[in-house]
Amino acid sequence: MSTIAPHDENEQKTVSSYVVGFILSLIFTFTPYLLVVNHYISGRALLITILTFAMAQLLVQVIFFLHLGRGANARWNVYFFVGTFIAMLIVVVGSVVIISNLHNNATTLDQTRKIIDSEGIYQVSGELTGACQGRHTNHQIVIKAGKSSPILTIAAKCDTLTFVNKDAVDGQIMFGTRTKQTTYAGLDKLAVRKDHTKTISLSETGTFKFYDSLRPVVSGSFAVVDDK
Amino acid sequence: MVNHKAHQAAADDRVMFGFWVYLMTDLLVFSVLFAVYAVLHGNTVGGDAGRDLFSLPLALQETILLLTSSFTCGLGLLAARSYKKWQTLICFGITFLLGALFLSLEMKEFTEFIREGQTLQLNAFLSSFFVLVGTHGLHITSGLLWMAITMAYILKRGLNAPLVRKLALLSLFWHFLDIVWIFIFTIVYLGAYS
Repeated sequence: MSTIAPHDENEQKTVSSYVVGFILSLIFTFTPYLLVVNHYISGRALLITILTFAMAQLLVQVIFFLHLGRGANARWNVYFFVGTFIAMLIVVVGSVVIISNLHNNATTLDQTRKIIDSEGIYQVSGELTGACQGRHTNHQIVIKAGKSSPILTIAAKCDTLTFVNKDAVDGQIMFGTRTKQTTYAGLDKLAVRKDHTKTISLSETGTFKFYDSLRPVVSGSFAVVDDK
Repeated sequence: MVNHKAHQAAADDRVMFGFWVYLMTDLLVFSVLFAVYAVLHGNTVGGDAGRDLFSLPLALQETILLLTSSFTCGLGLLAARSYKKWQTLICFGITFLLGALFLSLEMKEFTEFIREGQTLQLNAFLSSFFVLVGTHGLHITSGLLWMAITMAYILKRGLNAPLVRKLALLSLFWHFLDIVWIFIFTIVYLGAYS
């Protein structure tokens, strides 16, 4: 920490430190932004990359803006910073690890169903779970002018189904009927905003009805048959 | 006289360290909010996820605004240390404007979400989002208030040692808020698209 008293001989040096810090920060902001916007990489690799850039920018700002470690009694500031940083890592990493373990290992049947589908876990201890391996044909249900078409979609198990909302209002797809609601493969509702789409994996077989809870006139049904 | 100056420097260092301790505890507050967000961001109960809601260009604009304000704040502190009154006022004035612009963009985003029915109460994802980003916004608001008051003092009384010390603390606070925002930008906004 630099002291508060003026020291002109160092001023030029400090101005250049702010300029260097500013330019480096801009680089470390634009690079991850462009990586995300242009989809160069995705998933876990992307997350790790952008977090690395954030950590780099943290270091840049701590050194070039906060001037941590400069000045007479700077040692204690550094110790305190490092200590807090360790406490922070314990809190954040600890919470994320513990809760994601709980989420995966001790959860409701609906939630388990969703995890099995989204992670494609098709067998556990040799027993088939009914989840799909890979993706197959895509079917579309287009919601336009308060009508959904086609009224009935017939698909094979493991196909995907996309709800396309072409109206200027948001939709919220619920399964079953207005008086008797059900869930589909662990899902109870699906928000489809105006001009947006939502895709689900058809891992549960049978005939299902759906309706829009915000506009009950929009409704339809789909049947999923086992192709074996 | 020398003795007095040494005393003053030691007192300044103590104040700096005290403020640094406050900033570090504040960092712990934010880290808990980040942990909550990391745990809850997937719990949308069938509603929109982050990638359906967030606008990346807006988040980038906010980041650039805050980053530039952090830079001008540093320049302002340097001017204050050399007791250049008007240069100090101009630098902090620009910092204040950039900070206010940042805050207005954040308010615009929040009001748009609320108008679309994406409110704090809708699901755990939105609760943790609004609390994390809102807490940062509150810090920015108090920083702006602090900045305005200090600038009014400088305008009225000119620069003196206690005011320079206040500005040094204020710029620490402002740099700190910029660092917290980098993590919000990375984890909340960019992270939603990964």
